[in-house]
Amino acid sequence: MIFREVEDRDLIARTRRGDVEAYNLLVSRWEKRVFNYLLRLVNHREDAMDVAQEVFLKAYQGLVKLEDPDRFSAWLFRIAHNEAFSLLRKRRPEGDMPAESAAFGRASTMMPLETSLAVERALMELTEDHREAVLLKVYQGFKFEEMAEILGCPVSTVKSRVYAGFEQLKQTLAPVSGRAVEKIS
Amino acid sequence: MNCTLSHAKPDWNAYVLGEMDRAERQRIEAHASACTGCQQDLAATRLTLDSMAALREEEIPRRIAFVSDKVFEPSFWQKDWWRKMFLRPSFAGGALIAGAVLAHGWMRPPVAVAPPPAVDVAAIEAQVSQKLQAQVNESVQAAVKQAVAVTRQQDDRRTATLLAAAERRYAETTEMLSKQVTRMYAMNSGVGVR
Repeated sequence: MIFREVEDRDLIARTRRGDVEAYNLLVSRWEKRVFNYLLRLVNHREDAMDVAQEVFLKAYQGLVKLEDPDRFSAWLFRIAHNEAFSLLRKRRPEGDMPAESAAFGRASTMMPLETSLAVERALMELTEDHREAVLLKVYQGFKFEEMAEILGCPVSTVKSRVYAGFEQLKQTLAPVSGRAVEKIS
Repeated sequence: MNCTLSHAKPDWNAYVLGEMDRAERQRIEAHASACTGCQQDLAATRLTLDSMAALREEEIPRRIAFVSDKVFEPSFWQKDWWRKMFLRPSFAGGALIAGAVLAHGWMRPPVAVAPPPAVDVAAIEAQVSQKLQAQVNESVQAAVKQAVAVTRQQDDRRTATLLAAAERRYAETTEMLSKQVTRMYAMNSGVGVR
């Protein structure tokens, strides 16, 4: 992880000097993580792809303003968070779930594990705030302080959202976890 | 099953999410070893986390397209060749000398230069006017003098002609009167007249 951060810092410095290929490398490192985070948030593959494109464009344009290159990941996810919620706010008046919502499920049905499908559905039952907090904590591995920076709210709020979301997942996934326990035993 | 620590129940969410310091971890682990309720809570929490780990990470449908985008073209100042060129010793030395020359020229005190004399336009105009007037006067005087001379010559010639005519008439009149006097004298004396 330290090695990666050093390399990210180097790529950021090269990008700032106008080396487009360095930014290309930086994007290739982060695009999958950002895409998955966005996919779980907006629940639509094409929207997630479009937003990811916008995120990396804005990141490139704002890279000069990034004061501490070591905070690149939190800064990048902050942009992703803003872009995703901008999209979600636009969707809200329509009141409908995206048309491809089922496609997300269909893709998952291809997976052999029933658990994965159950987790996907359980995540979608969370509120957007709770889901995002769980995604950043469990799947992206951010610290509470970094999440506070990304989400633009106090650490106490972040903790509250993570624990509330996690608690709800625990209840929703209890039958799945129970079966898993049974299989293990 | 309930935990025996009713007022300080361990936070197993924080425990499995890695948001607990080492001392606290050791404290609740020691407690859980003797608390059946906490053992069940911890197992359920861990299972939830393990279940979540089963979620498949989706592959990105296509690469983020940005390389060919014009907005990513670096500006002139961002291009690396410019920096490399500037950092070459020969270029840097030349630039340094040029900079020193320019700085010297800029910082040198200005040479005192006498201000150009104030041009008295009115005086020049008066002078030119005066010269012009003198030339005009001279030309007029010469012309008048010539005209007077010509007129005088013409008058002299006319006076001489008139005087000559008058003298001729006077001579003729004198001769005629002389002849009449002679004839009258001869008639009165009877001499030589018949």
